[in-house]
Amino acid sequence: MILEAENLTKFFGGLAALKEVSFGIAEGEILGLIGPNGAGKTTLFNVLSGAFRSDQGRVVFAGEDVSRLGAPRRCRTGLVRTFQVVKPFSNLSVLQNVMVGSFLRTPDPGLARERALEVMELVGLGARQDQPAKSLTVSDRKRLEVARALATRPRLLLLDEVMAGLTPTELVEMLETLKKIRDRGVTLLVIEHIMAAILTISERILVLHHGEKIADGAPKAVAGDKRVIDAYLGEEYLLA
Amino acid sequence: MSTPMQREGTMFSTYRFIPTSSLYTLVGLAAVVSVLAFNVADKFYLHVLIMMLFYAAVSSAWNIVGGFAGQLSLGHAAFFGIGAYTSSLLFINFGISPWIGMLIGGVLATLVAGAIGWPSFRLRGPFFTLVTIAFAEVLRILTLYAHDLTRGSIGISVPFRPAVGNFIFRQLSAYAVVALIFLMLTVMVNLWIESSRLGYYLAALREDEDAAQALGIDTARYKLVATLVSAFLTALGGTFYAQYILFIEPFAIFSLDFSVLLAMMAIIGGIGTVWGPVAGAFLVTPLQEGLQAKLGGELHGLHLVVYGAALIVVVILLPQGIVPSIAGRVKRAFGHHEARPAPPVKGES
Repeated sequence: MILEAENLTKFFGGLAALKEVSFGIAEGEILGLIGPNGAGKTTLFNVLSGAFRSDQGRVVFAGEDVSRLGAPRRCRTGLVRTFQVVKPFSNLSVLQNVMVGSFLRTPDPGLARERALEVMELVGLGARQDQPAKSLTVSDRKRLEVARALATRPRLLLLDEVMAGLTPTELVEMLETLKKIRDRGVTLLVIEHIMAAILTISERILVLHHGEKIADGAPKAVAGDKRVIDAYLGEEYLLA
Repeated sequence: MSTPMQREGTMFSTYRFIPTSSLYTLVGLAAVVSVLAFNVADKFYLHVLIMMLFYAAVSSAWNIVGGFAGQLSLGHAAFFGIGAYTSSLLFINFGISPWIGMLIGGVLATLVAGAIGWPSFRLRGPFFTLVTIAFAEVLRILTLYAHDLTRGSIGISVPFRPAVGNFIFRQLSAYAVVALIFLMLTVMVNLWIESSRLGYYLAALREDEDAAQALGIDTARYKLVATLVSAFLTALGGTFYAQYILFIEPFAIFSLDFSVLLAMMAIIGGIGTVWGPVAGAFLVTPLQEGLQAKLGGELHGLHLVVYGAALIVVVILLPQGIVPSIAGRVKRAFGHHEARPAPPVKGES
């Protein structure tokens, strides 16, 4: 297990955004995370990546308890997230954005640049390197978000809706990219609403509802699970 | 791999971080200032030249925190004052050369910056700015209060004993040369920061602090590093000012006006760019000194009105600042699109 989440609980005031959520991710796996809006998916990411501390439970990453570490320290151990609402460094060029990521593993600007270019090629941003990040389209911003995180050389990448808003063609490209990333030995935890995409790519799927884990298993089993259909997928999905 | 970003390359391995265009600018600046310093006979014009160089240097020092890191400090007068008071007090009380006092003042300012910066970097936006203003005010009041040490509001006169070792010169040209060296030093530090990992990290935390942290950047630490460097250089400026004017007192030294002026010069010239603060200072200082000399006597405060109006015009016409606006136009003309020069590629020279 590269990551083990144990009994994660997070309150916002009186509301439990996460209730005793436990799961593990095996090294090299692609784990999908689904659930209706407000189910606690992004909160889970915030707790795993160190943006928030959980009120109870702990996060064990690569055998080390990282529950007390802040986001920068967790990133250095190889646990890196992207943001659902993308956060490009708007006034920097695309290349400079990605270099900020690659500087984590080298202080040398030349090397950081080289590695950034390589990652940009992988996600399909190669032609955009000199453009200011604020001039990018939605799909390229999503790519940039992935490229920047990937440039830090993560062991586990948490991807928060990187496929939302993409055209069908772009979606296929992104799925290819994610597979390539996994083939390089990066484990992926993917939040996604597009069921076709998440069922295709995931080896296992985790379902959250009202902050609780209601299913965890193979895509087919999860898609046929009564509780998941009631909470999220709906009858129409089953018929379709 | 040949892109427009690499073209600026670098000339010598030791100066890898200096883009060719900046190297030419530095050399050109040094040449022009040297010629002017020894050929301008009029003392007023020479004084304006010295103040231009001085403000350009201190505004560049401010730019490291205010520009690169995007933390709007309006309390840099504090570091400036620590520099001015430390070297002056050491000189008049113990006869320690201001050259040495300058370094001690720099170290002291750095230590104080660390003590103040660490807690205040948890504050974002206007709250940080308010803390910096309060900090400079507190130092001013402490200086007034510690009358036995600082002579309070009477101020300190540095005795005019010209000698190189005393950092006091008979010739104004000598001050111009020292100010030029000071400016070159701060510009080089800016150039180095811009092209290094530190510069990228400061830009990242300025643009989006949460995203920066998610990419492994300990933002509080890098803000602190920027502040320490900035405080040290600003304190050097304090000693220069004290040795040039030979009189310091709390209201002039720890003034909010001074802190605001540093920020304003950088903003007018192009905040967060290496040459912005220099351009801003070169434009604003002659305006300020000239208007004060011409209008200051006739109607007290009129120069501030003209000065303020000029400022509004510049900010409306060139909202990004002078340097980025002009650079943008030049680049469009030559078909380049980039936010700022990229660092050199390893192995290229």
